[in-house]
Parts: sequence; structure tokens; C-alpha cells
Amino acid sequence: MSKDRKPILALFYCQHTPQSSEQDKQALEVKYGKSLRLFPMPCSGRIEPLHLLRALEEFADAAYVICCPAQECRYFDGNLRAKKRVQRVREDIMSLGFQGYRIGIVMNSKEKQESLAKLTDEIVDTIAQLKPLPILNPQG
Amino acid sequence: MPAKYMIHAKPAPNRFKAPTKSGVIAWWEGCLGCPHCVKEQCVYGVYHKRDLDVRQMIDSIDNQCMSCLRCVQGCRKELIHKSMNPEYTSLGDSHWTPDVIASLWYQAETGKIPVSGAGYPGPFSGPGFDSMWTDMSEIVRPTRDGIHGREYISTGINIGGSPDHLSFTASGELEDNAPFRAEIPLPIILSLPPLGSWGENTVKGWAMAAREIGTFLSLPHDMIKDELVSLKESLIPVVDNGQPGSLKEMEGFTLLEVPWREDWKEIRERIKERNPSTLIFWRIPIVKEAAEKVLCLVNSGASAFYLKGTENGRHVDDDTAFIKEAIRSIHVTLVEKGIRDKITLLVGGGLAMAEHVAKSIICGADGVVLDLPILIAIECRMCRRCTKGLPCPVEIDRAEPSWVASRVTNLIGAWHNQLLEVMGAMGIRDVRRLRGETGRAMFYEDLDRSTFGSLGTPREGYELE
Repeated sequence: MSKDRKPILALFYCQHTPQSSEQDKQALEVKYGKSLRLFPMPCSGRIEPLHLLRALEEFADAAYVICCPAQECRYFDGNLRAKKRVQRVREDIMSLGFQGYRIGIVMNSKEKQESLAKLTDEIVDTIAQLKPLPILNPQG
Repeated sequence: MPAKYMIHAKPAPNRFKAPTKSGVIAWWEGCLGCPHCVKEQCVYGVYHKRDLDVRQMIDSIDNQCMSCLRCVQGCRKELIHKSMNPEYTSLGDSHWTPDVIASLWYQAETGKIPVSGAGYPGPFSGPGFDSMWTDMSEIVRPTRDGIHGREYISTGINIGGSPDHLSFTASGELEDNAPFRAEIPLPIILSLPPLGSWGENTVKGWAMAAREIGTFLSLPHDMIKDELVSLKESLIPVVDNGQPGSLKEMEGFTLLEVPWREDWKEIRERIKERNPSTLIFWRIPIVKEAAEKVLCLVNSGASAFYLKGTENGRHVDDDTAFIKEAIRSIHVTLVEKGIRDKITLLVGGGLAMAEHVAKSIICGADGVVLDLPILIAIECRMCRRCTKGLPCPVEIDRAEPSWVASRVTNLIGAWHNQLLEVMGAMGIRDVRRLRGETGRAMFYEDLDRSTFGSLGTPREGYELE
């Protein structure tokens, strides 16, 4: 396997993330190529542990969620529920011996909401050193 | 009476799950544990048949939900919500709207007319074809019930003009005036879409669909090779410059499509020299001078035209003008010159719904040329990722030709049925009689002018609601 291989990120994001239109999404795909898969959601509270785990199982080295700032969810507490679920999955995969930061959630700042592109860049930096999943990743 | 022309639909399921209009947001945290949970009571059982399409991350809960909102209203802790699906709302653009695309998918999959339910929730009037309404005054006549009625409604058109007069030989027999060069059973010709990640198999599928429904597919001449040669009677080669190389092996085609160029006379001569029996089908962009170009060509004997607007149904040189106005104006010009019957006028560009076929014909076209709808029929999402070098989300180039052909046949079949319905409701039994029949439609602009024109116009910068 090539040493230059970049970790593949499955990124789920709330549709209310700033600058997350189809055009912004495509610009990110042009920038990151096959190492980024983007999945817009009606609300981050829509995420379920199965979505994250299946992404890791099928194609991704890391799965992250971007949600709205605290108390700004259109569905009142979708972002809080997403946070709890992600933490739970994180604990589960850690108990299996995988790095916890393969799963994560980024809550946008209430004071200064960042764009999808900026948050994606930060997440990609976070997972830059990840190696492919040893067992589950079919490309591993 | 000839046999009734019908397009038989065979269901052709989607290869990829289509994004649904809305998504379910269902939480379990805070659940009261009611003995009769609304999820258990779902009549469609969507909460029990959960599945996840990992390739697209589409949850079956969205695809199976019929949006009855019973669970949303019934949950005592209000843990279930419905929201617009961002994957759906991001489809297409302002012309190829998500609803138009989803409707085309449905018709291509089933071959059925889309029924949106009781009532019309949309605006009173809109831009382009949305500002005209067709006359349905004869909808009560049962014998003219379009699809299943006893009376025959013809949707066939001729390509190539009618002669001014008939000539007879000394013995009284009709001389061969070759009035028509081609006849198609419905006023629709297919054309390769201007975008899309389609491949050879896709083109073959489109050509098979054209043969199946009895019409033509227009495509660049250099693409007609290998297996496509056997389908040549259903193809219209596009010849750019009429150079000998491009005319090689052009024999056997009924029509040749030639884009307008300044040196059109030389191109015509070259083509006539090599293929005297072939009818040239001139493609002219819809610009301000389109009518003059048509007149100029008609005076030199041309008899078939394809007026092409932008893919958003606008004039090529004016993004604010719709092709509807251009069709009306060119048609009226030709009628006034007394030469309308000498030519066939097909229009294309931005035609996205079945009603656009009937409305184009009412405005003065003989028929239409479809390009993007045959791409959307095979699941295209109009995301235009292919134009940026990004992979196609539905891998269009990997579709089998037979599946492509079925999808396009279904779509055109559904459009044909809708044309029959609307003609039946208008009391018109031949699509050739619908041409330019503006008395069978009302135009918002005309009504607005005649009703409120005497009151003056709003001051610049102001709009009436």
C-alpha cells in the first residue's frame, strides 16, 4: 500500500452548517478527491451509531459529524443527541482497541460559525496521521 | 384507420436509490415507552424494515415513508420530526428543479403519468411555459378520452414541408413531389444531451429507444460506428461542416442535422452533391436574428429546422427571454409570409415536462427535440459533477443499453400519454392541427394586458403582488 495514502473521511453534516450548498460540497470534493465522502443531513440528530459504524466498515478510516452550536438546533436538541451518540460509538470502538478519534463530532461555535470548508480542513488535519483500519477496511 | 400507436411501458427500476423529498428524524432518547408506540402503528412498517444503503448512506426509513405524518403527530413526547432532505433540495437548478427531476425519474421508472394528488398547490402563474394555460373545455367528451378513447388521436408529424401544389402526369397520375421525407409517430426527436458522463452503452440504449418508439436520435456523425450502424435508420448524424470526411458513409440516413454557419450555402452544396436525397435539418440557435436565418434558408429551399434555446429554455443571446416567445414570433412571421406549411419547425432547449411539448406546439412548433430529459431518465441528478471532473454519483456510463432503452421508452411513453390526454381535453384529434392553435391556450401576459393594461404599469422598481 502506498505511504502517501490519505485517510478516507466520511463526513456527516447538518444542512444548516454555513456555506454547505451543493456547490461548496463539490468544491471540497474537487479539493480532497476520493479521500472525502460528504453526507448532508436534515439535522445532525439524524445520525445513528449504525451510520458511523457502517461507514467505517465499508469504506472510511474515520467518520465525523458536524452539528449546529449549542441551543441553536432547529429541532431543539438534535445536536446534543448527536453528540451523545457519537461519544457512545467512540467509547465502543475504543473498547475494541481502535483509536477513539476515528469517530468524532464538531460542534460549530456559537460566537463565530465556521463554514463547512473550514471545519472539514480542521477534521482532515486531525485525522491526517490515521492508518487504515487493520481489519475492517477492505483496502487495508 | 391505422393501428393505434401506443408505447408499451415495462417497469425499469432505479439502479440507485433516489433521494426522497423529506427525511425522518426519529429519536429514541427520552422515549416514554408507551405501550402503543406510534412506530409500531406505522401502516407502512417503515420502522421495522430498516436498512441502510451504505454506498449513498440512504436510510430505508426515508424511502419507505409515505409522509402521512401519523407518527409525527402521534408521538406523545414529540420525538419524531420530518424535514426536507438536503440531498433532494440540492438536485438540479432553478429550471431543472428537484420536483421536475423526481417526476422524470418516476415516469422513466414506471412509464406512468405522475399524479400529484388533489388540488394544485403551486403559484397562479410563473415564467416561461408556466405563464400559459391550455384549454380543457372538451374534457367532458368521453369518446375523446385520450389514451383509452374510442376515437383515434394522431400524434404523428411529417418532417419536411408540404408542397404548394400537386402535379400530375399526362395520364393523370400523381407526380412524385416527394412532399415528406420522414414521418414520426409522435412529435418528439431525441438528441444527445449537452452534458453527462454517458458512454457508448448509453448512446446505444438511447438509439434503441429511438427505434422502439419510432423516432430519431441525433448524434455527432463520428459516433455512428460499430453496433450503432445497425440502428442507422433511427439516427440523425450531425454534420458540422459538410467536409468530405464527415460525409463519408452518410448514405442511408433520412435526415442530416447541420448546425447553422455563415458558410451554410457551401455546406449545403457539398451535402447535396454527395447525398442528393437526404433532407437537411438545420439547427439554428434561438437568437434575435433566428427568424431572418430561417427565412433566408427557406427561400433557398430548406424545409426542416431545429430551433435550439439554452438548456434552461431561454434565448441563446438573452437569458431573460424564454423560447416560448421566440417560437410564437417565428411561427407568426412564417404564417404572414405564407410559407409556414413549407417547413417543419422543431424546437428544443429546456423542455422539461410533458406539458412543454403541447405548449411548444400551441406556440407554433411542429414538434420538439429532447436532450436533457433522456439523461435525467437514466437517473442523472443534474449535479453537473461530470463537468468538473468529479465521478458521477449514479455511474451513468455503467448502465446497460437495454435498461437505458427501457427507461427512455417509459419516459417518452408517459409524455405521449400526457399529450393524448391534453389533446383529448382540447378536442383536437391531430397534433398537426394543434400547431399554432393559440386559441386553445391563454397567455398570462395577454390576459394581464387586456384586464389591467388600461390602469397603467407599475413604476420602475415596484412590483405588484
